[in-house]
Amino acid sequence: MTMRRCLVTVAAIAATGCATTSSLPTRDSIPELKNVLFFPQTEYECGPAALATVLTSTGIETTPAALVEQVYVAGLKGSLQAELMAATRRAGRVPVALDRSIERLLDEVASGRPVLVLLNLGLKRMPVWHYAVVVGYDAGADRVTLRSGDEPRRQERLRRFLRQWQLADQWAFVATRPGEIPVTAAPESYVRALVDAEPQLGRRAAALAYDALLERWPEHSLAMFTAANRKFADADLERATDLYRRLLEQEPTHVAARNNLALVLLERGCRSDALREAELALTDTSIEPFRAEIADTLTQIESAPPQASGGGACSGG
Amino acid sequence: MNNRMTQLLGVSICALSLIGAPMVGNAGVIGAQTYLSATDRQAMLDDIDAVLARDDVRDQLERYGVDTVVAGERVAALSDRELMSLAEQFEELPAGGSLLGTIGVVFIVLLILELVGVINIFNRI
Repeated sequence: MTMRRCLVTVAAIAATGCATTSSLPTRDSIPELKNVLFFPQTEYECGPAALATVLTSTGIETTPAALVEQVYVAGLKGSLQAELMAATRRAGRVPVALDRSIERLLDEVASGRPVLVLLNLGLKRMPVWHYAVVVGYDAGADRVTLRSGDEPRRQERLRRFLRQWQLADQWAFVATRPGEIPVTAAPESYVRALVDAEPQLGRRAAALAYDALLERWPEHSLAMFTAANRKFADADLERATDLYRRLLEQEPTHVAARNNLALVLLERGCRSDALREAELALTDTSIEPFRAEIADTLTQIESAPPQASGGGACSGG
Repeated sequence: MNNRMTQLLGVSICALSLIGAPMVGNAGVIGAQTYLSATDRQAMLDDIDAVLARDDVRDQLERYGVDTVVAGERVAALSDRELMSLAEQFEELPAGGSLLGTIGVVFIVLLILELVGVINIFNRI
């Protein structure tokens, strides 16, 4: 009896370390995302299993076994967060890390997207890391529904889930098809996610994703700049010019946009326009991080053949 | 450490020259990745850092049992920031797996906490 009480005390002290102060949200139930498949984990493979769950929900055909080679690290007996993101990119999807907020997490689930979470099932100093996928929330019972381990439908008390999630630094991400943007995404974090995924996406998917980005945030500086770069890479010089120019109207000191605009103009045969933009960029005070690129741009312009007269796209002069 | 750095530098110099190749057609263009790195004060990464980190993380993966070719493919899909973070703290980062990886004293403590209801993990193995 005494022994038991002692253990409870120890446990209580240990638990205090993990106590959370954040308030629990009051919100409507989210019906379970029934079409999100469950893959039971085998041995250490909760990473591949959880990843297969979110990837298949975006239309990718895969299995945990197929993902083991991409994310499992035998020596760690587990999978690293960054590698789950990387494997999502390799599948042609854009992984977007969510804000560290339970409200945002549940907003994503409510929008129909399963959310992959890292949990610490143990203690702060003795972590037992586990990946699971949130697929619903029952407001009445105050429980979240998880695809987790060997349980297709684990109903976890919200308070307990929160503790486990907070002990894992509230890390969560969603996998999105190129062209779809998570409902809770902020423009900066989404652009970063897209830029990181771009090399794996292929030209067509990347173009689709940047079009959607511009549609959602048409005036956002970073969205305009990166979308313009994409247009430039796709040799859509007219759209690229237009985007860089609109951005520079908004933000005349955007040196990187001005440098790239100069190069697009050069590519279009507008040597004098290009030279004017590059020289403008050179005089800007915020040139420092891009000095080498701008010098290179100027060299290119100067070594280009003289502009043919009457270039229709050029302003002349 | 010095030896390792020298080795990394040797590898990275080769890697840099390889990376340089496809850029020729686009010299001077400030790409999204470059722009983000340059404007992000928290992560002032330059290309050399990223290349070093990539080699380092690939070595780590190999050391932890990932096949050489596979490790190369895996690091290729990591972002610069992820590479830096993995290179710096590979062994300290969470690796989601399962309780089967937990041993000894830790296991016993967790078992006790489970029995008194503080944690709830053993039904997931």
